[in-house]
Amino acid sequence: MSRIRAPQEAAAGLFLIALALFTFWQTSDLAIGTMRALGPGMMPKVLGSLCGICGIALIGFSLIKDGAALERWSIRGPLFILGAAIVFGLAIRPLGLFVAGPACVILGSLAARDSRLIESAIFGVAMTLFCWLLFKVLLTLPIPVAPWLLGY
Amino acid sequence: MDSFLGNLELGFTVALSLQNVALCFAGCLIGTLVGILPGVGPIATIAILLPLTFQVDPTGALIMLAGIYYGAQYGGSTTAILVNIPGEATSVVTTLDGHQMARQGRAGIALGIAAIGSFFAGTVATLVIAALGAPLTKLALIFGPAEYFSLMVLGLAFAVVLARGSILKAGAVIFVGLLLSTVGTDLQTGDERLTLGLIDLMDGIDFAVLAMGLFGFAEILRNLDNPETRDVVQAKIGRLLPGKEEFKQSYKPVLRGTILGGILGILPGNGAVLGPFASYTLEKKLAKDPSRFGKGAIEGVAGPESANNAGAQTAFIPLLTLGIPPNAVMALMVGAMTIHGIIPGPQVMTKTPDLFWGMIASMWLGNLMLLIINLPLIGVWVRLLKVPYRLMFPAILLFCCIGIYSINNHAGDVLLTAFFGFAGYAFYKFGFEPAPLLLGFVLGKLMEEKLRQALILSRGDFATFVTSPVSAGLLLVAFVVIVIAVLPSVRRGREEAFQE
Repeated sequence: MSRIRAPQEAAAGLFLIALALFTFWQTSDLAIGTMRALGPGMMPKVLGSLCGICGIALIGFSLIKDGAALERWSIRGPLFILGAAIVFGLAIRPLGLFVAGPACVILGSLAARDSRLIESAIFGVAMTLFCWLLFKVLLTLPIPVAPWLLGY
Repeated sequence: MDSFLGNLELGFTVALSLQNVALCFAGCLIGTLVGILPGVGPIATIAILLPLTFQVDPTGALIMLAGIYYGAQYGGSTTAILVNIPGEATSVVTTLDGHQMARQGRAGIALGIAAIGSFFAGTVATLVIAALGAPLTKLALIFGPAEYFSLMVLGLAFAVVLARGSILKAGAVIFVGLLLSTVGTDLQTGDERLTLGLIDLMDGIDFAVLAMGLFGFAEILRNLDNPETRDVVQAKIGRLLPGKEEFKQSYKPVLRGTILGGILGILPGNGAVLGPFASYTLEKKLAKDPSRFGKGAIEGVAGPESANNAGAQTAFIPLLTLGIPPNAVMALMVGAMTIHGIIPGPQVMTKTPDLFWGMIASMWLGNLMLLIINLPLIGVWVRLLKVPYRLMFPAILLFCCIGIYSINNHAGDVLLTAFFGFAGYAFYKFGFEPAPLLLGFVLGKLMEEKLRQALILSRGDFATFVTSPVSAGLLLVAFVVIVIAVLPSVRRGREEAFQE
């Protein structure tokens, strides 16, 4: 009876409970207020509790009802995709689009198993030029292009 | 009636200006272009293309966004017919008969009837919006804070019930969305809430950051995990315009689909998703030979596609008149409007009539353009569908990054989006649906504000939500909807437990 029959549900439940506890920890110093004048802490605490209750219910059901297994998390996808976004975010201001663009595309491409380095390098440069034309030249958005070379 | 025509006339004067026609055209074209990419649904399309509208004036921006929205919708149907991949829930039904038609070498006719049906549905829905807009806006004036709060509760209740998968999980996701909306500085007291001391979170989570994280980045991660088997139709596309016989078969389904979809689209909480399903079921029931369905029956494309488009249009009604988005796409439109300094609601129509009616007129124009753009360009779309995903996703990634950066010219937003991308991936692994979260997030701030206002007005008495008949009625419907949805699953769960 103690066997978890729906691991995905149980994991989701644990996540919700963790979120609820985190919310309570973070809002512990915020006042709930009165019914007449709700304080800043009221909504987060109420919603956090509701998340927690859903979490407990999910875990409860996961013990009595069969459900989906927990899927495997891939490391490659999140690592390279989110890594590419972070690199873009860090590089756009100091180095500009001409560095951040190709870096983002090439690094991001590594997330796919069938990616080819030379192909993605060419594609990265082409996409960057296209974005430069579209966003900078055509739409005149204030994106740094290459501050180290052009000064903007 | 005079004001109805006068309003439409005003609308068309605005919509037919050279700039706005160009924007509407560009929106439809780019929206279709991106929406057609497999694995990119309408929500992701709008999120990705949001920055394109930043430099335009608010009216033009909304016209363009609406164009992008229709384009994305239609692009989703095209992918459904040609590749058998539904871009979103509403085009699932189209894959059933549409893809079969394509395999039989009748892809052109399937796409043609989808475009014509959508255009007809769009025309009717535009007229309905124009006719209902003014009276419903008056209705909004009798809505106090308590009624607004209850209406939003009803919207979220519908969103829970209509979400795919378990009701408990859909509810939990909405609570998470509401919780995320409380992040930031509290407007009344100035206290920081859940900001972790990060300056980036002081003003709350930016809507576009959340949407692009959950729908832009997380979609890529999801697609990489499940390499899709793309079944691009190899058969000939064939002629596009339906012949006399086909037209005769499909005009009634188009009519019925338009009515069904239009009515369901007005419902709060994503009633539009029901339209295509309801229409398909109805057509199958009415058909003389139901066994043809699933094997390329033209009625199975004509009806649902019309319902889809009618619903997609009438979903604007709650947004434009009450300021309450009924689904995630409309929530995205709210975000876009806010970026342009427009707060959706009844005041939009009275304060900026040219914007309101211009947008409505451009809806019809957008539908006409879809018809003109798509029929000749289908060959181009087919070639686009063959672009391998390993080239597509880095491009989407770069667009997202540039887009997020451009919203506030703030690099920290990109990092935050990466975080939400990971959260979206985790949500997917936990089996949570992200669309209701977005709706909860958008409604959250408004709900808290209305709740506080209502309680101040009633001096802290919760009874205010039940003593007002409108509010009580709305809450009652919300309660009944949830109970009806929960009861069978509870019973089933208990039966299973008792069988042990």
